[in-house]
Amino acid sequence: MNDIKPIRIFMTGVGGQGTLTATTMLARTVLAAGLPVTSGEIHGMAQRGGVVESTVLIGCKSPKIGHGEADILLGFEPMETVRALPYLKRGGLVLSSTEFMPPLSVAMGKQACPSLDEIKTQVAACTDKAHYMNSQTIGIEAGAVQSGNIALLGALCATGALPFGPEALAATIKANLPAKLQAVNLKALELGVAALDA
Amino acid sequence: MAHSLLADAPGHIDLLLGNEAIVRGAVEAGLQVATCYPGTPSSEVPDTLFRLSPEARYSFEYSVNEKVALEVAGGATLAGALTLCTMKHVGVNVAADPLMTLCYTGTPGGLLLLSADDPGCHSSQNEQDNRYYARLAGMPVLEPSTAQEAKDMTRDGLLLSKKHGAPFMLRTTTRVNHLRGPVEFGPVPDPGKPDGFQRNPSKFVPIPAFSRPMHVALLERLEALRQEAENSPYNTVTGSGSLGIVCSSISRAYVADALAQSGLADRVKVLGLGFSHPLPETMCLDFLSSVSRLLVVEELEPILENDLRVLAQKNGLDVEILGKDVLPRCNEFTVSMVEDAICRLTGEAAPVRDACQPAALPMRPPNLCAGCPHRGSYFAARKVFGDDAIYSSDIGCYTLGLLPPLKAADFLLCMGSSISAGGGAALASGKTVLAFIGDSTYFHSGLTGVANAVFNKHDVLIVVLDNRTTAMTGHQPHPGVDKTILGDNDSRLDIEASLRGLGVTEVREVNPFNQKKTIAAFEELKTMKGVRALIAKEPCPLFTRRIYKKVAPQVAYVAESCTGRFECLDTLACPAMYRDGDHAAVNPILCNGCMLCLQVCGHIKAKKRGS
Repeated sequence: MNDIKPIRIFMTGVGGQGTLTATTMLARTVLAAGLPVTSGEIHGMAQRGGVVESTVLIGCKSPKIGHGEADILLGFEPMETVRALPYLKRGGLVLSSTEFMPPLSVAMGKQACPSLDEIKTQVAACTDKAHYMNSQTIGIEAGAVQSGNIALLGALCATGALPFGPEALAATIKANLPAKLQAVNLKALELGVAALDA
Repeated sequence: MAHSLLADAPGHIDLLLGNEAIVRGAVEAGLQVATCYPGTPSSEVPDTLFRLSPEARYSFEYSVNEKVALEVAGGATLAGALTLCTMKHVGVNVAADPLMTLCYTGTPGGLLLLSADDPGCHSSQNEQDNRYYARLAGMPVLEPSTAQEAKDMTRDGLLLSKKHGAPFMLRTTTRVNHLRGPVEFGPVPDPGKPDGFQRNPSKFVPIPAFSRPMHVALLERLEALRQEAENSPYNTVTGSGSLGIVCSSISRAYVADALAQSGLADRVKVLGLGFSHPLPETMCLDFLSSVSRLLVVEELEPILENDLRVLAQKNGLDVEILGKDVLPRCNEFTVSMVEDAICRLTGEAAPVRDACQPAALPMRPPNLCAGCPHRGSYFAARKVFGDDAIYSSDIGCYTLGLLPPLKAADFLLCMGSSISAGGGAALASGKTVLAFIGDSTYFHSGLTGVANAVFNKHDVLIVVLDNRTTAMTGHQPHPGVDKTILGDNDSRLDIEASLRGLGVTEVREVNPFNQKKTIAAFEELKTMKGVRALIAKEPCPLFTRRIYKKVAPQVAYVAESCTGRFECLDTLACPAMYRDGDHAAVNPILCNGCMLCLQVCGHIKAKKRGS
């Protein structure tokens, strides 16, 4: 286990977005690649519209990622990407959705979301390695909004930051998701990979 | 085909949630009876056991509370069944009474108690360390750090419990319950039938004359279990160096990762205690004697640290022991935190920690869902009682009612406390007290509060927020539900009948989405004194969707005539509603069609879903 360079991936999103399904798909892909994997999730109150944070760690024993420990940050919502920046190692890799899901205070008009430019400025203060995509729109295009997470995961696999490529994630989707969900998620994966190159 | 968690497939490797691994371990031990009360982070254990139960060889029940779960489990193990009982850490407070006695009587069929602790209070009111309970009661403790260990320790804990006739504690933390990792399966035996009850009052009836020798027998069992700990494969010594680390539970994972990334593995000797109580004293003494400095890495209380200090003092060892003076007593650890401590003690420079500090963002607190019936109950209660009443709350989704604008939770102690603590607050304050309690919590421990309030003539208005399920923890059944994922509940208890049976004469029932009737009921009950109750009955919309596969046929929309007062947003805080420029608006995808907002503002209308 010591000869494998550890990779810590921190994922964050909003309750109901399908963050945990995406986490499990990635963890299963690591396992199928024959690598030591541990994954973690914090839920509970999160189902009620709160923040859902999860982790996938390659070559580690612990399922937890502390501040400054994540090699990769995957944000399924742009504000949550910024909120999770303390977990990222400086210079780490960020992949983020650009589409906001306003929390209640914003919906009620009491507070405002930062602009996408402000989001990117905040991220740029931590790392120059960041990719953005409209993953929810991609998910809708693929057939289900939740599959936007798989688009972002597919893009991550295509960056070369992981010891496997998008085809490994595709194999996990085929092996683990019910038939009716496979096509949508494979399409989302393909669109996500394409969006990274765009 | 049997579910993979039940299949006899030795060597098969699967990625399991810690809580699923616990279920698999119990199946591999030959589990015969399981009793549970759900509660995060333990809930996926009973949920998985329940889901598998139609094709499984064990008997399973969701008990009404943790005390009852452990009593049913106690009876089962006394009658010879290999038994698992699960709950979250604060549930053990509820179950503490039978727990103490079960350690005296012993558990002939075997009994493993899962105590799922929650350092960091991810979903709990405190971060109590239940290893203290094990010491208080006299229980051996297993503490897994991986999914594989969660499986193996559950299996071995059950088998060792049966071997010694002593109840075991499987003490997890949230990180372990909710991690996922690879698990290699072992064989699944035929659980067969329980051994049956062997009458022996001197062992099983703790009258004082029998209790005294039971206590002696308990201490003898603990010494035999100490030998098991000395020889346990879960207690390991690795590495070498003059700095020693003793660690338990998930801290073993933090230590392993910290040593790997700091490159200090060859300078530190580690004693990992997976079987942590009774303390393997010989093993610990050998370890203490082989190092000059010792760091104890354990989350929460300094329990191993204190044990080791006692051991060192008794044996006159000159070893410096550090623990809570280096690492915190609150919250969870991280790998970095442990690495920094190790660097400090080995005289190495710790890596520079320079985490990014983004600017403040709008918060995203959890909120009552769109279409949640509790919003209707709270809205009406606030309208009638305002700030004049005291709102005694309880544990469930409805605790989220504490947030503005509803502000319907003034205090909360524990499961089932709303009625009893509400009575106390009423007699001391002279104010009207509303006690909000969910249907599941009502059956958990609200019933005794009702009996007490009636008997002692408390002045409390009980509001049963009856959403027909246990919503917070994931829609588990309780005695009052109509339906579960496995079908109809044919032994349903009736809340109104139980209130009346316990002597509450004034009971009203409303649908909280009917504001006119709900407000009228509150107005009427406001004029009364003594114990009176309102049952606000309407199913949780998420439950309706999941179990009945139904959604409301209509959704709300805001008409062009909206004048931009935003009273709807300001008073309901419904997540389906938002401000769109000068108008309020409803997101039709998020709207659950409860039509509460139509009763707040005439500019909000109903339309057919999808139109």
